[in-house]
Amino acid sequence: MSKAGGGEVVAGLVGAGLGAVVEAVKAYGPDRILLADDPRLRGFSAQAYSKVAAKMLEGLADPKAVLAPATAMGRELLPRLAAEVGGTVAPDATELSPREGGGLVVSRPIFGGRASVQVDLPALPCVSLRPNAFAAEPRPGSSPKVENVAIPELPAPALALKVEKTVVSRGDTPELTEAPIIISGGRGLKGPENFVLIENLAKVLGAGVGASRAVVDAGWRPASEQVGQTGKVVSPNLYVACGISGAIQHLVGMSSSRCIVAINKDPAAPIFKIANYGVVGDALTILPALTSTIAKSRGVPVP
Amino acid sequence: MDVIVCVKHVPDAETRLRAASNGKWIDPDGVKFTVNNTYDEAAAEEALRLKEKCGAKSVRVVTVGPPRAEEALRYVLSMGADEATHIETPADALLDPLTVARLLAGVIKTLPHDIVMVGKQAADDEAGVVGSALGALLGLPSYAFVTELAPDAATKTLKMHRYVEGGEEHFQGPFPAVISLLKGAADPRTPTLPNILKARKKPLTKVSLADAQTRAQALPGAPASGAVRSFALPPPKTGAKMIEYQTPDEAAEKLVKLLREEAKVL
Ligand SMILES: Cc1cc2nc3c(=O)[nH]c(=O)nc-3n(C[C@H](O)[C@H](O)[C@H](O)COP(=O)(O)OP(=O)(O)OC[C@H]3O[C@@H](n4cnc5c(N)ncnc54)[C@H](O)[C@@H]3O)c2cc1C
Ligand SMILES: Nc1ncnc2c1ncn2[C@@H]1O[C@H](COP(=O)(O)O)[C@@H](O)[C@H]1O
Repeated sequence: MSKAGGGEVVAGLVGAGLGAVVEAVKAYGPDRILLADDPRLRGFSAQAYSKVAAKMLEGLADPKAVLAPATAMGRELLPRLAAEVGGTVAPDATELSPREGGGLVVSRPIFGGRASVQVDLPALPCVSLRPNAFAAEPRPGSSPKVENVAIPELPAPALALKVEKTVVSRGDTPELTEAPIIISGGRGLKGPENFVLIENLAKVLGAGVGASRAVVDAGWRPASEQVGQTGKVVSPNLYVACGISGAIQHLVGMSSSRCIVAINKDPAAPIFKIANYGVVGDALTILPALTSTIAKSRGVPVP
Repeated sequence: MDVIVCVKHVPDAETRLRAASNGKWIDPDGVKFTVNNTYDEAAAEEALRLKEKCGAKSVRVVTVGPPRAEEALRYVLSMGADEATHIETPADALLDPLTVARLLAGVIKTLPHDIVMVGKQAADDEAGVVGSALGALLGLPSYAFVTELAPDAATKTLKMHRYVEGGEEHFQGPFPAVISLLKGAADPRTPTLPNILKARKKPLTKVSLADAQTRAQALPGAPASGAVRSFALPPPKTGAKMIEYQTPDEAAEKLVKLLREEAKVL
């Protein structure tokens, strides 16, 4: 957008120990990088981060929009920032366009993906972007200037936030909310031991692993993998639901995926109503066949 | 310790959605509205547990909505809340979540509040905006995506658990604060008949929109809001293309070919 409008792209980075992040961001070629790297900003505090982001905005002549990923942090930060600086907000955008008279027009899904709205954002739009809805192009060879931003005075409660323990999800699969492909398993997998079939297919595709609440509640899979109303909302390019019936609470978490494949023994399973492709059959035999077909075509070992 | 819980009266999850004639939202005609949309119900349940398990003094439920939204307040009163406040809007008002947050903040500011509970997102607009905007407007910290919370009244800190990108976090932060809840520790209770009857007599204060707007003027920051330009329903799903096959390998090959050549996702 800035290319079309002739403006600058400024990357604002807030946190502690951001050396590697700065390098990663440089590769995408922003014009400038504003950096607030401070030990006091170690744990994510929406209160502190929004104050710092507001300070960054203050230093810009004419900010047109603030964009962030629609991750847990991005979605928590932007409304706070908007309320503080008198901006407007729209989360989870799937499309953006300039608005006549300034601001943005944003499309976003609502009602669990069962409808969508176009929202007019006149004053400084603060918009989080739905993962996988926009592509990030690296711009090799760019060397943006990195400018340190002085940390404003932070409210005492923000400084008192302490992270006691972080449980990192298994590092070998991508974060579910950002994964471009997700292979998800439900009670139809029959037991926790069979999830290796899901993991193998995920491995050859570089995909994330998801689960229904039924298998999380049964202790077969960790809660961090749960997709749905009380789990994560995901929107990958490809979602493969294996042995998942398609209860409404599951569907609201994944129905806006671009392409949905359902593998289910029961031809009447509701998941087939929202799937693009369906295979009626035993997930325990279809999954290995899929894994080996894909592994062979990609020339990687069959796990 | 005083607890406030904010709930929204929203269409039931199973409701068939139709566009209103002005093309900006759903047609409310014939729609069943409810408060039991997991997040708000979980927020109410958790608010009541703060009273029962952690000695909070009172639980007040607050909503911004048209006259019908009183039903949501009565429902939470029948779950066990003590008092209710209804910021009443015209039946056809379509409010941006930032505007809702300002109206709520203006009123909550004048009420005792140590912990303000909201749902992670409303079941209709799914914005997830009100909680952290409320935090900013009330000058309080806000904690979102929380799944567990335990307050320590002596030190005024909350021990919490939340999901973040890449994992989970156990953290603590001070209150007063605003908490957006992803899910609660227990299933929300169902009101019993005696409690439904009792709830009819519990105090419910009405605040007019004009009054709430006046109170909101004292808040920091300049009010700004987005406005819905258009509402759209996706074209109806035609049902899945079913793969015909004899052997699992044949199913796999056909599916992979379709995903590559037709859907272009592999
Ligand atoms: C308030 C609330 C919140 C909820 N939140 C969530 C949520 O966030 N996420 C979520 O997922 N659920 C959620 N649920 C639960 C939801 O209602 C369903 O119970 C759950 O999604 C079912 O999981 P499932 O599809 O794995 O199991 P089931 O419904 O038992 O379905 C199993 C499916 O596997 C098929 N099957 C069996 N054997 C095979 C085989 N060998 N090969 C292929 N298919 C086979 C069956 O035909 C069936 O369709 C929630 C429920 C409530 C009330
Ligand atoms: N009109 C409203 N009245 C009271 N609380 C609301 C209202 N709208 C939203 N909330 C609360 O804020 C949460 C997030 O809403 P939203 O930002 O609209 O997704 C909801 O789960 C409610 O707890």
